[in-house]
Amino acid sequence: MTHRGRRLTRLATTVLLAVIALVFAFPLFYLIATSLKTKADLFEPVPSLFPPNPTIDPYISVLFTRGFGGLLVNSIVVGLSATFVAICVAFAICYPITRLPASPRLRRFVLNWALSLRFLPPVAVVIPYFAIVRTIGLYNQLPALIVVYAIFNLPLAIWMLRGFLDEIPLEIEEAALVDGASRWYAFRTILLPLSRTGILAVVIIVFAFDWAEFMFAFILTATPQAMTFPVGVQGLVTQFEIIWNDMAAGGVIAILIPLSLMLIARRHVMSGLTFGVIRDK
Amino acid sequence: MPGHRVSGAPARPFGSSTRVRTAWTERNRQEQLVYKLLLPVFGTVFVLTTIPFILALIQAMTVEGRGFVGLENFGRALANPLLYESLKQTGLYAAIVLPTEILGGLGIALLVHRTVRSNVVRAAIYIAAMIPIVIPQIAVGVVFRLVYAADYGVLNVLLGQTGPSQPLWLSSPPLAMIATASVDIWQWTPFVYLVMFAGFQTVPSESVEAAQVDGATTWTQFRHIELPYLRPLLLLVLFFRIADVIRVFDHVYVLTGGGPGTTTQFLSLYIYRIGFKFSDLGQASALAVVVMVAMIVFYTIVSRFLPADRG
Repeated sequence: MTHRGRRLTRLATTVLLAVIALVFAFPLFYLIATSLKTKADLFEPVPSLFPPNPTIDPYISVLFTRGFGGLLVNSIVVGLSATFVAICVAFAICYPITRLPASPRLRRFVLNWALSLRFLPPVAVVIPYFAIVRTIGLYNQLPALIVVYAIFNLPLAIWMLRGFLDEIPLEIEEAALVDGASRWYAFRTILLPLSRTGILAVVIIVFAFDWAEFMFAFILTATPQAMTFPVGVQGLVTQFEIIWNDMAAGGVIAILIPLSLMLIARRHVMSGLTFGVIRDK
Repeated sequence: MPGHRVSGAPARPFGSSTRVRTAWTERNRQEQLVYKLLLPVFGTVFVLTTIPFILALIQAMTVEGRGFVGLENFGRALANPLLYESLKQTGLYAAIVLPTEILGGLGIALLVHRTVRSNVVRAAIYIAAMIPIVIPQIAVGVVFRLVYAADYGVLNVLLGQTGPSQPLWLSSPPLAMIATASVDIWQWTPFVYLVMFAGFQTVPSESVEAAQVDGATTWTQFRHIELPYLRPLLLLVLFFRIADVIRVFDHVYVLTGGGPGTTTQFLSLYIYRIGFKFSDLGQASALAVVVMVAMIVFYTIVSRFLPADRG
């Protein structure tokens, strides 16, 4: 290719990538712009692209006037508890299959079973869970969501944790065991500290998934006592007359938490989304 | 403790006989420990995930107040023309989003892989591509309400169409399908991009250089050198995306609610509607059972291609 031709190609690709980036970024820009508009701005004949009088009132209105602060607390409580349960259970399942001589068949069975849950559509599962939760009196209660979320993110936690544990050489623990240390001691003082980064990555990603979950929370809760934040946001979108700036502010808050978490754990997001198939960077 | 390894290769019949025996009993003990640790936890979780299936089956074969009704609910579920309408729309949705996302993601990955050399720019694109993926579906619904809504949506503002004759993206039949599908494409093309871009990095540079020395064109280089490395990833992405299309619910629910008519009433929305809007849990359970069985069959076929066997 000639020098000139190469420069032209370069320019063309840069322009193309910039256009793609613009198309993808613009909806988010407009979301943020709308979330900063005043009530009066909503009555402009043609909605403006930039907020004419930027204000944080919509955020205050959503969190305090509408009481979404409580939903935010519910989401955090459910997310943290479900993540904690999922990680503990995942560890109890991953430890024997990665650190002990489990048969390859058993290992494959556990991992396959976990992956198969990923392919189950939630709507099919929510119907029987709805019946169970109503029967045992946990309808519209946070514990019901915690259990369901823990179960549904368990496969992800198992697969990610397995990847991290596989990377820690068995020899390190063995050295301690040979010196007469108990398995529990070796686990506590060697394996746990070594897998800290991995655990943190799993915690962040599982929490972000719990945070974003909508359908279970929508069907298993009814009042702000147990509703999660996404259910509240859904109410802002589907109500008869949408208050655009409040709705946008709700959307921004819903995005902010998983986005910042994922940026912290960015090196592990792909592995989380593909069950550890992609483990780059 | 005698000097032996906790795990690793099975004990081999060499060395002094006592050492072999201790190693063997120790290994046996370890294997028992696997089951002792695994069974209680895994058993509980396994039961918790299997109960819904059994319960759905029971619900599907009973009607409140009448008790056991056999396959009646299944008959009603499968005789409902709306089911086939919803399957058709789900298929149409899949036919729009899957090829667009996979070809688009692959194309952008190829473009960036070939033309962007700077690591900083590559890292910036990596982060940017991650943003749509990590946004909760509900918030994605909010974002696109602001794009497609009549009167306030930015798309019609940009098109200069705000009058009474403006296109109704969310409430006229073919447009609502395009609008909901475009949201899927917006959110998941970057996912395909990230997987494919990671795939391109696994192609050994020697093979690429050898092909270039032999005068391979850009296309033959892609077709014969890079594509073979990407094929397993393409399959993986396809399976994940199919599973996701079948569960599509959140963003469609807040954008169109399944309407207008049945245009965007995809499978998950349809089952939700039967179960919770019409409160026909018998029929909904029958549908749930059918979907679960279908997904088990799908997964059994797919799992051959998935990494679970890497063990």
